[in-house]
Amino acid sequence: MADMASRPQFTGSRITRIEDARLVSGQARYLDDVDFPGMLEVAFVRSNRPAAKITSIDIEAAKALPGVKAVWTHDNCPLEMTSAGFKTTWYALAKDEVRFVGEPIVAIAAENRYVAEDAADLVRIRYEEVEPVLDVRTAALESTRQVHEGRSNVFFHRERKTEGFDDAFNNAPHRLKDTFTFHRQTGAAMENRSFAALMDPFSGRLTCYCGHQSPHELRSELCEMLGMEENMVRVVVPEVGGAFGIKAAMYPEYLVVSWMALKLRRPVKWVSDRQESFLSDVHARDGVHDVEFAFDDDGKIIAIYDHMMADQGAYAAVPFPGSLGETVTAANVLTGPYTIPHQATVIDCSFSNKMPLGAYRGVWGPIASFIQEGIVDRVARHLGKDPVDVRRMNMISDADFPYKNPSKMLYDKGSYLKSMEDALRLIGYEDFRKKQAEYRTQGRYLGVGISVFVEPTASASSEAGSVGYEACTIRVEPTGTVTAALGLGPSGQGHETTMAQLIADQLGVDVKDIVILHGDTDSAPFGGGTGGSRSGTIGGGAAISAGKEMRAKLVKLAAHVLEAGEDDIELQEGKAFVAGVPAKSLTIKELAQIAYTHVAKLPEGMKPGLEIVTRYQPPFKVSFSNGTHIAVVEVHPDTGLIETLDYAVVNDCGNLINPTIVEGQIHGGVAQGIGEAFLEELKYDENGQLVTTSMQDYLLPASVEVPRMKIEHIETPSASEGGFKGMGEGSLIAAPAALTAAVSDALEPFGVMVNAMPVTPAQVVEWVSKGTPAVGAD
Amino acid sequence: METFTKQTVQITLRVNGENHSVEVEPRMLLADVLRHEIGLTGTHVGCEQGVCGACTILVDGAPERSCLMFAVQAEGREITTIEGVTPDEGMSELQASFQKHHGLQCGFCTPGMILTSEALLARNPNPSEAEIREALSGNLCRCTGYQFIVDSVQDAAAAKAVNHTNADGGSDKEGA
Repeated sequence: MADMASRPQFTGSRITRIEDARLVSGQARYLDDVDFPGMLEVAFVRSNRPAAKITSIDIEAAKALPGVKAVWTHDNCPLEMTSAGFKTTWYALAKDEVRFVGEPIVAIAAENRYVAEDAADLVRIRYEEVEPVLDVRTAALESTRQVHEGRSNVFFHRERKTEGFDDAFNNAPHRLKDTFTFHRQTGAAMENRSFAALMDPFSGRLTCYCGHQSPHELRSELCEMLGMEENMVRVVVPEVGGAFGIKAAMYPEYLVVSWMALKLRRPVKWVSDRQESFLSDVHARDGVHDVEFAFDDDGKIIAIYDHMMADQGAYAAVPFPGSLGETVTAANVLTGPYTIPHQATVIDCSFSNKMPLGAYRGVWGPIASFIQEGIVDRVARHLGKDPVDVRRMNMISDADFPYKNPSKMLYDKGSYLKSMEDALRLIGYEDFRKKQAEYRTQGRYLGVGISVFVEPTASASSEAGSVGYEACTIRVEPTGTVTAALGLGPSGQGHETTMAQLIADQLGVDVKDIVILHGDTDSAPFGGGTGGSRSGTIGGGAAISAGKEMRAKLVKLAAHVLEAGEDDIELQEGKAFVAGVPAKSLTIKELAQIAYTHVAKLPEGMKPGLEIVTRYQPPFKVSFSNGTHIAVVEVHPDTGLIETLDYAVVNDCGNLINPTIVEGQIHGGVAQGIGEAFLEELKYDENGQLVTTSMQDYLLPASVEVPRMKIEHIETPSASEGGFKGMGEGSLIAAPAALTAAVSDALEPFGVMVNAMPVTPAQVVEWVSKGTPAVGAD
Repeated sequence: METFTKQTVQITLRVNGENHSVEVEPRMLLADVLRHEIGLTGTHVGCEQGVCGACTILVDGAPERSCLMFAVQAEGREITTIEGVTPDEGMSELQASFQKHHGLQCGFCTPGMILTSEALLARNPNPSEAEIREALSGNLCRCTGYQFIVDSVQDAAAAKAVNHTNADGGSDKEGA
């Protein structure tokens, strides 16, 4: 038997997506399109205080409103979210006390959302306010009020240092320091977070609908918190309108809606509005990093110290608190693609009176990249060197492999230096430098920023991966078409297409003859889900593994019926045939009919049917992708506006399953990077109120703000099945660092070195007004 | 069914060439009536703040936010939703072009993108990239970074131009 079904016809090709037909025609069903007779809709009354005791809740007027079915407080729904290891009690509906603006207190089920919101307006809550904790440095002080009485606000502290760090750092010829600040953000998927539940009238089981990245993880959490058995709960993930990490988490609203469906015996649905989403979708970033670094006269970087502080918000989110992801993982790859021998990190994660931190695409990545590239650029500017030369000098080379960074992370072979050289060519670096000098004489400030990134993907554990493997079932139906199911939870990544591409090449069938199922725990095998850039690598590995098993059975069956050796059987174009004798063939359909119907023709010992389930775990705990982003921006000193003029990406995620889909992921990540670098900030005011709860206040990049990008691929295969590496987050990991570095470069005449994201027009105007040189500076 | 009386009005909405008689509260948003009363769920609601553009429909041929209109305001107007521009068989030129160029990922913003693009191409059959980006600047997409959407619209414009030229040469068929 050949290793694969003849030549790969589909893997690596730019085929169009199978899921698009329903999406472009408006026929796809997202959560708000789920509807059942008698369905109730829910609105929540949320805390408008960041920190307070609840002294009274008056729900009588709300209950009396016609059309209202139930008005619930904690007394009706005494459920809580539990986060293993970070014991905070996050009640589904607040009990006695609230700890952030937006925390659900009362849930109202009514005949529709209009009525539910009317009733919400009639609820009266009295509070006794206490001083909110709103700042990560303040939170850590002994004198600061404890967010959770009786325990320190700093709930996670860790110190790590490479051997010999102190000597290396103290004896270095140069040392610099700066503080890097990352403001709060959130995924802001176009489809708001939502949940529906009903008692299935046929089976009596609880069926939950939720746009979620990990259907099985969600089911496990629901069962644990509701006290139900896993075979009594079914999770169905409909079409998901973007997820980006926010839909990998468990939320209080999901418990309340499930409990209502169980207790009220009616279908119940809650669809968040946009304001609720900003208030109650997990937030991300929100960290402060006090960084010091040491280097020699040539620009070789010797040591980095980083005191990482992250603001978790009020509770430890489930399944994990995002502040740990933003710090611990950042510490794991703080040196990025550079061979910096020494690293010391101190991590402090603390509670505050804000929405809890969870995951947003690139968790940790934009932070580590901004710091590591910021260090390189500061070294270059300090020594008067070209930042490209400093990068070349410090870059991992092929001779360094196998390479472990100071955090003992084993990198995959990649194209660290080559990706940068290729990106420099794509952007026309040398030419740009000449033009930049000319522009400056005209009073125009253009800059170029480089971000060479590493992306640890497909981890054995991640925000979505409750398990380190992924699962795939393949069933060849009696008519010869193929149905496969995986435990993934896609939200636009095109898994129905890419997984079909991989399986088609194993079975020698047309990609159009394969249907990929996902997102229903009744049909999908138990798997980890989607997140941490794991689906292509681990899910793809599972698809290939399952395909190989099915292929082996088809070959064995065909060899038996065609009276040929298994080694001589090929699968192609929906047929099994004897190599060199194409006339001697059976269609997959004919093989399927034997397997299911004419079972007397099966070879000795072969069981009827064509159905298998397989799980795949990659050989390494993590697969490292790499690449380089280079941005060119123009900063307008008078208005403070920043225009992204040009953008180049060279990406290496190993073998490509579908280059078009990979490029789509890169485009989207760069756009989000523009948001992170220049636009997006969740702002809490000094009273603890979130003041950015509309899309007019929390700015997402629009079509006019995202430039056309030049993309090239390098393929350095990984050791995983198929040679894939993950790539869902690399573009958001790399882009903010490149974009902000370009601003620093543009405003170099003003002595600017960006150290906080996002960079706003007001900030630019302030820098320029304080900076020394003006028009024509060199 | 209910024991109380809501203040409602009877209106007739003309949607995708068909009349729909619906009883609505005056406060009901057009988006909600299209979705929940008429069952046209291809119109998606992303923000109800008039910012994201996901709920874009055509009213008398021009893009409008259906979350910023009350249903009662739409009486007597010609409303077109994504279902109305989808042919009985297959896809429209724009829809096919969005698939060909990977102009969508999660698909939530896509109906709004396509309707805005329909209106653009109706008034400007050969837009530049800058004009396309300007026209789409009121439709947010969180997945694609817009580049492949722009490509989709540009290529659909080119395809329409070819079809119209062919049509002028001998047949009077409308563009699909």
